[in-house]
Amino acid sequence: MSKVQLTNVRKTYPNGAEAVRGVDMEIESGEFIVFVGPSGCGKSTLLRMVAGLESVTSGQVLIDDRLINDVSPAERDVAMVFQNYALYPHMTVRGNMSYGLKNRGLPKAEIDQKVTEAAKMLRIGDFLDRQPSQLSGGQRQRVAMGRAIVREPKVFLFDEPLSNLDAKLRVQMRIEIKRLQRRMNVTSIYVTHDQTEAMTLADRLAVVNDGKIEQMGSPIDLYNNPATLFVASFIGSPQVNLLPATFDGQHLISGDLKLSGFGDLPTSTELVLGIRPDELRLDESGPFLLRVDIVEQHGSDNLIYGGVLGAMNDGDQETEFCFKTSQDMLPDLDSTLKLGFNDERAMVFNKVTGERLR
Amino acid sequence: MVLGIGLVFMLAPLVLVFASSTHTTSTLQLQGLQWLPGDQFVQNYGRIFSFQAGFTDEITPLGMLENSLIIAFSVAFLTTVLSLLTAYAIVFFRLPGKHIIFWFVLVTLLFPLESRFINTFSVASSLGLINTHAGIVLPALAAALGTFFFRQFFMTLPKELIEAASLDGAGPFKFLKDIVLPLSFSRAGAIFVIAFMIGWNQYLWPLMISTDDSLYTLVRGIRFIGQESGPGMAMVVITMLPPFILLLVFQRWFFNSLSAQS
Ligand SMILES: Nc1ncnc2c1ncn2[C@@H]1O[C@H](COP(=O)(O)OP(=O)(O)O)[C@@H](O)[C@H]1O
Ligand SMILES: [Mg+2]
Repeated sequence: MSKVQLTNVRKTYPNGAEAVRGVDMEIESGEFIVFVGPSGCGKSTLLRMVAGLESVTSGQVLIDDRLINDVSPAERDVAMVFQNYALYPHMTVRGNMSYGLKNRGLPKAEIDQKVTEAAKMLRIGDFLDRQPSQLSGGQRQRVAMGRAIVREPKVFLFDEPLSNLDAKLRVQMRIEIKRLQRRMNVTSIYVTHDQTEAMTLADRLAVVNDGKIEQMGSPIDLYNNPATLFVASFIGSPQVNLLPATFDGQHLISGDLKLSGFGDLPTSTELVLGIRPDELRLDESGPFLLRVDIVEQHGSDNLIYGGVLGAMNDGDQETEFCFKTSQDMLPDLDSTLKLGFNDERAMVFNKVTGERLR
Repeated sequence: MVLGIGLVFMLAPLVLVFASSTHTTSTLQLQGLQWLPGDQFVQNYGRIFSFQAGFTDEITPLGMLENSLIIAFSVAFLTTVLSLLTAYAIVFFRLPGKHIIFWFVLVTLLFPLESRFINTFSVASSLGLINTHAGIVLPALAAALGTFFFRQFFMTLPKELIEAASLDGAGPFKFLKDIVLPLSFSRAGAIFVIAFMIGWNQYLWPLMISTDDSLYTLVRGIRFIGQESGPGMAMVVITMLPPFILLLVFQRWFFNSLSAQS
């Protein structure tokens, strides 16, 4: 049970790359925090600074109010699970799991007991005497988790631990990680670029963009109330529909379209209207005319993709919408659908700064 | 097919030498080398062990064997250890200028020992290494080759391995001992064998650096007995034997690490 605190943390690599540009964060004891963001945004760097695998260029990293900027990784009492597992190839599963404990000088009986217990919890008890090369990807993943668990660290760190697994196993392991974390109640930081993973695992998630925390909050809060265009488009699957627009004092104007229900917006700024795919509905008097391109059948619901006729285009790209609807809705290709939307739930952003205006 | 021809070319001299080593000197001199075994095995090989040579001091073939073994084992051991440690430092640590160090090491591969005899000799003599085993061993260390070999292997190890170890409380020394060494075992065996052969087969450099007959190695000693004699042939066979035995002992490791990358 430990708190983690970051104060104005920055990282500049020796080659000049500014990976992290001032991050402040407080993580409560037992919280499950997820860093999510596109590849290269600095998530791993941030995590590795907490682990002690990268030096901190400036700012402070604290665990339980102790400044650990210059404490070695071993003494920070954190455990990490890597994307490629990083198991010791020549050691058995047991050897892998007990290595850290051995280095701490724990008595053999105690090590054995902890390893057996963790192996049981992860259902790898039958593999304890095998080498990593004799295990499947999912099993290796469990061993990597086991190696972290037996140490009983103050903080668990995960760097995209499920990215090397196939889709089905990924979902399974995701649930298992969540269950383990609940049960052990250890403060955890989890890095992923997969927003579904992020949404489902996190107590709170931090959306990282270009070395900064764009927004932090509970998954549902970020989904319902994104503070920026970036967060709105990163969180939510399928992605939020975006429509370039301007405001004339009464209506939102986008190409030939005139949308009412909006007020109190700047008139001289380029805007973006954001509508989630499930906020669209069939409506004969609605403002949008969707020309159907693709119908994806996902089982319980269908996703209908198509161009919005008459809408302002973003550059030379036609504005496309995704309409989430029920499984019995199967329009012909190239037919058109009349769609309306819930203007209470629509979001408006400043196109240039990304700031949410409404 | 090509392999077959290659094999014949490689094996034929061995058969020829062994068969010839069982004939009398006069047979060899009158009729040339022999393809079929003769009846002089015991006499020829026995002669070697009662033979003495030398101008300034005495040296027996057993003494030469001892010299050869000392030198070859030293070359093999030092080459393996030095190149493993160099590669370890180059790959796993953020040394300033480590790429320069590596290229410098690699460049020395371009210049065979023979091309730097004069300089090496003056360095060796100023260090007082003339007429010593060390003088024969040190310049022959195949450290560049070994460093390159180990470096290539270490680069295939994921960098997360050392990170996982450091989180597990293993510093650089423990990581070397517990993780890198066990993983490098078969490769170290291969380098050991190669360096042993290099040390064993040295000819020119020992000739230059040592004037004492007591430092004669087997390879040099063949000259004393005369190659075209029965005992000379027997000596050639004995000279070839230790590297061959070593290769047999290490062969599984050797071929595993040189072929499959696992
Ligand atoms: N060791 C390094 N040296 C130099 N630049 C690096 C290094 N590691 C990462 N970077 C750079 O820092 C930025 C953030 O990288 P990273 O934290 O790995 O991103 P993420 O994990 O979000 O994909 C990237 O632009 C990357 O190129
Ligand atoms: Mg990463």
